[in-house]
Amino acid sequence: MKPQINFKEIFIENIWKILTVFSLSFFGILNQWIIAENSNIFWKNLIWHIVGLSFLLSFIWLIDYRKITLSIIWPCYLFLLLILFILMIFKKRWIEFGIFSFQPGEYVKPILILLISLLASKEPSPHLKFKNLLKFLIIIIFPLILILPTDLDHAIIMGIMFISFLIFIGVPKRILLLLGVFTLIIGFILFPLIWNKLESHQKGRIYGYLYREKYERTWSYQLNQALIAIGSGGIWGHGFKKGWSTRLHYLPAKHTDLSFAVWAETWGFIGISIVLFLYGYLLYSGIKISQKAKDWFGKYLSLGATLVLFWQAFFNIGGCTGLLPMTSIPFPFLSYGGSITISVYFLLSLIFNVSLRRYFLK
Amino acid sequence: MKNIHFEDYLIKDFFKAKQKILKGLFWEKRLFWAKILIIFSFFIFWIRFFNLQVVNYPYYYKKAKERSVVTYGIRAPRGEIITSDGVIVATNKAVFQLYLDPELIKDKEDEILYKLSKILGEEFGMLKERYYLAKKTFLGRVLIKRNLNWDEIAKIMVRKYYLPGIKIEVEFERHYPYGEAYFHLVGYVSKITWEEYKNLRKNGYFIEDYIGRAGIEKVFENRLKGKNGVIEIERDAYGRLGKIINRSNPIPGETLILTVCHNLQMKAYELLKDKTGTIVALSPQDGAILAMVSTPSIDAQKFITGFTAQEWNEINSKVDTPFLNRALQGYPPGSTYKIITAIAGLSAKIINDLNQSLFCPGFFRYGTRVFRCWEAKGHGSVNLIKAIAYSCDTYFYTIASKLDVDFLAQVSKEWGLGKLTGLGWEEEKSGFIPNKEWKEKTFHEPWYQGETIILGIGQGYLLVTPLQLARVYMVIANGGYLYRPYVVKNIRLLNGKTINIDPQLEKRLNLNLSHLEWIREGLMEAVKIGTGRAAFIPGIMIAGKTGTAQVVSLSLKKIKHLEHHAWFVSYAGRSEPEIVSAILIEHGGHGGSVAAPIAQKLYKHYFGISEVNILSKQKGYKEITGNETSD
Repeated sequence: MKPQINFKEIFIENIWKILTVFSLSFFGILNQWIIAENSNIFWKNLIWHIVGLSFLLSFIWLIDYRKITLSIIWPCYLFLLLILFILMIFKKRWIEFGIFSFQPGEYVKPILILLISLLASKEPSPHLKFKNLLKFLIIIIFPLILILPTDLDHAIIMGIMFISFLIFIGVPKRILLLLGVFTLIIGFILFPLIWNKLESHQKGRIYGYLYREKYERTWSYQLNQALIAIGSGGIWGHGFKKGWSTRLHYLPAKHTDLSFAVWAETWGFIGISIVLFLYGYLLYSGIKISQKAKDWFGKYLSLGATLVLFWQAFFNIGGCTGLLPMTSIPFPFLSYGGSITISVYFLLSLIFNVSLRRYFLK
Repeated sequence: MKNIHFEDYLIKDFFKAKQKILKGLFWEKRLFWAKILIIFSFFIFWIRFFNLQVVNYPYYYKKAKERSVVTYGIRAPRGEIITSDGVIVATNKAVFQLYLDPELIKDKEDEILYKLSKILGEEFGMLKERYYLAKKTFLGRVLIKRNLNWDEIAKIMVRKYYLPGIKIEVEFERHYPYGEAYFHLVGYVSKITWEEYKNLRKNGYFIEDYIGRAGIEKVFENRLKGKNGVIEIERDAYGRLGKIINRSNPIPGETLILTVCHNLQMKAYELLKDKTGTIVALSPQDGAILAMVSTPSIDAQKFITGFTAQEWNEINSKVDTPFLNRALQGYPPGSTYKIITAIAGLSAKIINDLNQSLFCPGFFRYGTRVFRCWEAKGHGSVNLIKAIAYSCDTYFYTIASKLDVDFLAQVSKEWGLGKLTGLGWEEEKSGFIPNKEWKEKTFHEPWYQGETIILGIGQGYLLVTPLQLARVYMVIANGGYLYRPYVVKNIRLLNGKTINIDPQLEKRLNLNLSHLEWIREGLMEAVKIGTGRAAFIPGIMIAGKTGTAQVVSLSLKKIKHLEHHAWFVSYAGRSEPEIVSAILIEHGGHGGSVAAPIAQKLYKHYFGISEVNILSKQKGYKEITGNETSD
């Protein structure tokens, strides 16, 4: 029995998602244009986006996600661990190749999502067995521990990403409760220890978040500048390349962490609403895809990827609007960064792959 | 086989489907919560952005602007003030000002201030205090020193590298070429105070601004001020200035053309220089002020260049307060007031014609009281003309004794005494005319007719300003037109147009022509043969009245500070009256011997008669008014 393939339906169902991705890519390129002081970063960013997009499109058509098996992912995972271990020893986040630099930490996300989805889809059930849960936790904890010394907040956020993913896959309520209480207790015990171990800039982020007025010129300088940039955008924004904060160097880390503030200053509340809507729509369709996927690997995979994209945006926006402590998490599309861009397009390509392959499934 | 296989398939498929549905259901539930999580978080973010960008937009915009835009004020040049004969008496001069930008020297303010204090030779503490006070205004930069000389400029420019944030700029500053002579008329400007600044900043004033303090500078502040300009320049996070985003050029103030005659004003000041007193000259045709001088005076320029502490103490500790514009202060008018008594007597039909005369024995008896004439010998038989000419007290005692005080007060008011003249200056006093009601209210005593008698010769509770008196004589000169005095006749606008300010007639007094003639006659006689002879100039018609206003009783008059005020109020002209003047010398002595010669010199200058031709032998007449009572 060959399934009927209705290409028209496929087209209608996916064209908006693809267009959303394209417009967000365009916004990202535009945003780096606004920020760019020298064309260098702009061109690099453009290349990353083009590479990412072509990767996305080719992956959708050429590769079937179901062909990804554990025999491919396990070596990838172990290789990644090795690289992270080496980096940890050298206390570095980046590997540099000429003008490009890679941040292997970013690739932990897609690899782990794939790995967990694959393992979980072997015996799908509403509740994970304790043995499996433990296995997943161990798989997750290794790369995070390796990242922890060099990139604390990234590690913590990745922890939140995967824990939330596991909860959605199905952690029994009792174990969840137990884990929660356990983490709290451990947290309370370890907190003073960890707090003393933190470096001053890491503590400063917490101080800056809690006492914004007091540390206006020091720890919360970044946050205050971000708030001024966002707030002064108003409804319509300052307009293309006109924002004071961006142009006059008041906004620190504007290429990466605070690129969303640049967008907010330039295009105002209208621009923000558009980006929030498009990004939200993308996440929503990710969940829809997970709903409609016909196999469990696809379901888990698309939800996992969606959750990664969601938390990524969540911590970036939360940080620059002052709702959460400032973290060095970039915003997908709008922020500059080779690894993040590629990793985002890779995650998207997984989601779209699930979406399209559904029609070819028996 | 086929069948079995088919059934087998069906059963398998059924279980598979059942499992799928069951699992699908729990997954649906999970995904529902995932959706909730995403929608809820994004909604919160959206609300947050709404709050930041729409609700709090003004706050953040202001913060952004304060941070990234520097505002430099450009002070508008103040309007010029020019006399009717084209002499500029208030103008602007370009000077070099030293500014310091606090934003550029954030952490090393004290260090730079210290260096500057060394270069400029100023006290560090004072400089610092001034700087921090000015800094509070957020106007970008702070004026450190005004009017730098070349030496200072060179010293600063050489060290410019070590003095970040400093800036030398050319600016316009107020300049008064004739500071002292015009001090009370033109007024002066001085730095705006912090309190004033708070109120006026919405009108575009800067903390560096000057504001008119007195005279024309104060009254016409709005015209003279112009509109300050502003430059807004972007400044980046490193303090570098970028492009100008907004520039509004300053609009200069408007030019005022005065009615004042410069020559006359200068002469008047010269005549009064070492005395304490005032000269007001009006045009009898329209009430225009031709000259207004008050002494002692202050050089208005000092308010720009600064007083030394010693000078300032001197000014403030002086008994004869130089800040007072004496032309607008109330004084006892003395005999100059007799004109009003005469007019009241004429309109009350107490005096009916010139033949009506009375005998002056040197005193006047009213009941048990005796009022002395200043001429103890007496004037003999006097009619109205002679009484005015010789300022016979007895004559006016007699008339006053028949007058009701309220009627006299009414006539005085009608002639513009006891109320503001309409010049519109804050420093003007209204003077004072007593009446029965006032007396009862203040002293809880009835009015005695004896007080009316004293009032008849201008003594008593009466207070009149020199300007008011000049106006009374102006009415006599022009035949009944009581004009409001005015000093600015044209305002030259920036677009080249000129606003003319027309003289304003306060009222037309209905005067009996023959009464007017008699009074004029009396006043002319006073200058020709009477008490005002010292003012006489051959070929010029001068009509005036002397006055010697008693400050204290006669026995104390030897002390200089308690001497009488000397008055001479008059009008003069070749055929028609051309000028009215009121001259008052505080504690000067006798009107005839002190004030009248000044009038003569003033008129000579005005009519262009050289000193040589004149016989200045004439000595002033003695005139003391006694009003001691003997019971």
